[in-house]
Amino acid sequence: MMGEYPAEFPTDRLYARNHMWAAPLAGSSYRFGFAAYAVRLLQDVYFLDWDIPAGTSIAEKQEIGQIESQKAEASLYAPHAGTLLEFNQVLLKDPSAINTDKYGDGWLFELEGETTQLLSPEQYLEHLEAVWEVTQRTIKGQMNQ
Amino acid sequence: MPHRLTVVVSQSRSQNPKKRDLEEQIVAGLLGERGIDVTVLPNLYDLKPEGSGLLCLSGITGDVVICSWLYPRAARWILDRNQIRGQEGSTLLKSLGESEEQDDEQEQTESNESPDDKLRVIDQLELPARRIYCLDLRAYDDPAVFRNEVKRIARELATPTVELKSWINGSPKPEQMERYLAADSPDLPPPTSTPPLPTLVDEDAARRWYPVIDLSRCTNCLECIDFCLFGVYGIDARETILVEQPDNCRQGCPACSRVCPENAIIFPQHKTPAIAGSADVAGTLKINLSQLFGAPDPGASGAEKASEVAARERDEQLLLAGREAIGVQGGIPKRHATEQGSDCPKDELDNLIDSLDELDF
Repeated sequence: MMGEYPAEFPTDRLYARNHMWAAPLAGSSYRFGFAAYAVRLLQDVYFLDWDIPAGTSIAEKQEIGQIESQKAEASLYAPHAGTLLEFNQVLLKDPSAINTDKYGDGWLFELEGETTQLLSPEQYLEHLEAVWEVTQRTIKGQMNQ
Repeated sequence: MPHRLTVVVSQSRSQNPKKRDLEEQIVAGLLGERGIDVTVLPNLYDLKPEGSGLLCLSGITGDVVICSWLYPRAARWILDRNQIRGQEGSTLLKSLGESEEQDDEQEQTESNESPDDKLRVIDQLELPARRIYCLDLRAYDDPAVFRNEVKRIARELATPTVELKSWINGSPKPEQMERYLAADSPDLPPPTSTPPLPTLVDEDAARRWYPVIDLSRCTNCLECIDFCLFGVYGIDARETILVEQPDNCRQGCPACSRVCPENAIIFPQHKTPAIAGSADVAGTLKINLSQLFGAPDPGASGAEKASEVAARERDEQLLLAGREAIGVQGGIPKRHATEQGSDCPKDELDNLIDSLDELDF
């Protein structure tokens, strides 16, 4: 449960600490998208932009893009190091699939690389419990400014 | 002929309904205004060289107001690069991040400024007499602010100042008087009975990334052409700097704008206002002495200098393109060599320091 709404986290995939899901593709590549928690905080996404072209090698936590939504503006960071294979081009024109189909058509990018840091759904839920306090402080802290 | 003013609304890349709403309300409020034509385009920066958007803009020969989600400097010089040229029209509106106070300060420094002896590229340009006004849609939430400014500009342009001056030495010619009165008479019926529509230009504007040169700052020093190793820059027939191959530019890389000594290179979509085309000039701001007291270089990550950040960013792009990194070599050292060269004549400070060395404590 997140607030008053149940949040669903499909168990057919892994999760990253920065609230993205990671569904395995062929080889060592994964397709990433926003998990329910991130979409819930963002609400309607208006704009998505990437700072790097596809085919780029990226470091863990490297800044790779920007997002603007009803509730937030934020930079986006790489969930782990690797090669960014492809971005979901559809979202650049119309990012609404992030809201309507976050675990399907709303995927963000495909990334190949070492994925040892990805979490199982159970581990991710524990991670969520742990960061909930921090999130609340972040949101409330900014509202009081 | 009655004076006509074209208002161009360049749409945001974002689907934010507030932004769309602001655009629509400006357009709706100006439709049917006498002497005003309205055109709606995708984001100015993304328009393709031969695309319908730029073709449409090239067809506008009179005065133009551009409303975009970009800094006015960025909008103006994007147009200029595409041969859509004119005199800079002055607006009473601010751009994003500009405050009243800043404006006063800027005016003060401008009036105190010693005349700049540097020749800028703009000084050699022959710009047509028509005016181009650039309004920053990010600066105000209220569409009425923009509509009123457009109407003010329209009134200002409709005032036949040239003819009025010629009256000073005599009486107006009948046709001058007629033209003057016609320009301001408010109760003429609109020329058409059909409801007016804006010109909508639909172009599949995929996102682009390339530098835009502010020719009112550029001195044609060609540091950028030396620095960029991707062949973005070139020179034209008059040996003036030109963004020759914009699409050779590496997405996300703003390195050349950091090495530009005049802050003339704009990347309109960069996060840092000074790179995205805000009016700030390093020279007109107060000097930040934090660095003297041990702070890392502002505007750079860690303690890197702008030139080091630029070299690092360029290296990243070189490696991505399958080429070898070259560090701070190439392009940059030229300027530093002249700054620190031993052939520079010593100034008073040098002499003072030298005399300190000679003192025997």
